[in-house]
Amino acid sequence: MGTINSALSIMSGALDADQEALNIISNNVANANTTGYTEEVPNWQENSSVTINGVSYGQGVTETGATSVRDKVLTERLDQQQQLASASGSRLTALDTLQALFTPASSTSASGDIGTDITSFYDSFSKLEAEPTSSSYRQAVLSAASTLAADISGAASSLASQKSSLDQEAAGVTSQVNALTTSIAQLNQQIMTTSPDSDAGTLEDQRQADITALSKLVGINQITTENNGLSITTTSGALLVSEGQSFQMTNGTESGETHFYVGTTDITSGLTTGGGELGGYLTARDTDITGALSSLDQLAYGISTSVNALNNTGIDADGNTGTAASPLYIFNEPTAVAGSAENMSVVMTDPNEIAAASSTEGTGGSSNATAMYDLAKSTSAELNGQTPSDYYSSFVSALGSTVSEVESENTAQTASVTQLQTQIDSLSGVNLNDEAASLTSLERSYQAASKVFTMLDSIMASALNLGEQTTVS
Amino acid sequence: MQEPGERWKHPLLITLVTEASRSLACLDAERLEELALSCQALNRDLARADGETRAALAAESREATSDMAVLARVLEATRANLNVMNRLRELRGGRLEYGAQQAPEWPPMESGHGNN
Repeated sequence: MGTINSALSIMSGALDADQEALNIISNNVANANTTGYTEEVPNWQENSSVTINGVSYGQGVTETGATSVRDKVLTERLDQQQQLASASGSRLTALDTLQALFTPASSTSASGDIGTDITSFYDSFSKLEAEPTSSSYRQAVLSAASTLAADISGAASSLASQKSSLDQEAAGVTSQVNALTTSIAQLNQQIMTTSPDSDAGTLEDQRQADITALSKLVGINQITTENNGLSITTTSGALLVSEGQSFQMTNGTESGETHFYVGTTDITSGLTTGGGELGGYLTARDTDITGALSSLDQLAYGISTSVNALNNTGIDADGNTGTAASPLYIFNEPTAVAGSAENMSVVMTDPNEIAAASSTEGTGGSSNATAMYDLAKSTSAELNGQTPSDYYSSFVSALGSTVSEVESENTAQTASVTQLQTQIDSLSGVNLNDEAASLTSLERSYQAASKVFTMLDSIMASALNLGEQTTVS
Repeated sequence: MQEPGERWKHPLLITLVTEASRSLACLDAERLEELALSCQALNRDLARADGETRAALAAESREATSDMAVLARVLEATRANLNVMNRLRELRGGRLEYGAQQAPEWPPMESGHGNN
């Protein structure tokens, strides 16, 4: 009788377990389109057997809950790639705006065409050299100088505005980071209390969704702790979450720029290289825009000081030469390289003050105008041993290369994120056959792409090597 | 099939390169294998191409250089992802292999004097 009871008990237990499993599957179906939801599978536990007269009888199975199908290694890899993609994405947006400033045809260009301005300015001395007493040619020199100064100064102001706007965007990230770290700490607490030894299902889904969102904002490292807890640091090691406790990030202004802190520690430089949107904003602010501004300062300083120095030593149309008390400067004389671009302006108002003649000539001489025209072709240490035009061309070209480089990076990182997301999606209903098929697809794609790359590379090399035919076997 | 001396009629190299990057990002193996076949055909035709065709292809090649750099980077990222997936596969395999040892222990067999 006892045996029949046992059999009935096993059957009813099996039915209960099946019902629980069906509930879990229903839950999976209901959440099929829920962002961040991870599929759950039922856990089966075999019941203890009973032994009757030396023979063991099984007692069936019990459904003991559900485990989410998640792969933490893969998810963490996705988060890392997401950090890189977000950083290059936000940097690229800033670089595109920056590049537009120096693109003459661009509607947002505030710099006019500095390259042409430089050429026109020095060329204006060529005409004056031929006719040093011509007031219209003298006026043309001042006019070309004004255009050049206004364009360089305008570009510098636009860079300063862009920097300030990036600074504000970066500061805005702080509150989002804090909201996420607070939420992660709360979820940690719940997970550690309710599921210290097993997967916490939807709670872990929520925590993972927050971590993914945090990864898009800043570069982070995750450290799994006891009882299913988690600590999160920035990539430079500043602690943001320690199990159930979160550490707020704050910001403040230092030398006109937003800096970021955890406690009293300044973590700005670590955040810059760490990744995430914030990393991208800070790299654009501290490297790209600061670098562009520095190059413009160098250019403005080089042009202003060299032209002013020559004009100050020559003889103007009224027979005067520059003195310490009343120097004959065309441009506002910079006192330091920093700030030269933004402060560049034409201070000379009387065209007769242009010193076309050298100190050994009369007022009708033109040697000094020739010397000033020759500045266009002379290299200087202030401009890294380049002429002004070459220096500006190198700067624009370097900016273009940086944009192109970051664009490539972003495309590759975004592709990597897409691939990993595909892998995670295909593994969510994990069984070894599906996993093998997914891996095979990845391997097959990689091999085919390698083949395409090798062949294209050879074809292009062969085409560029005109006259020398090489074929790929 | 393109005849020798015929003007360049292939799709632009740049299209092939960008399409390869896109397909690799989406892990579209079939499309990539088709592209590999297109490259083989292109390579065959190149061997018999005249000067004008070669000059056109050289110009296209110069234009496609930056897109090739992108493809190289996507390929590099894919290789890294593939490494991660292979490592994971090994780990999973290892876990399954030793799974029996990690399973909860069975309760000890009882003596023959149990009652039911």
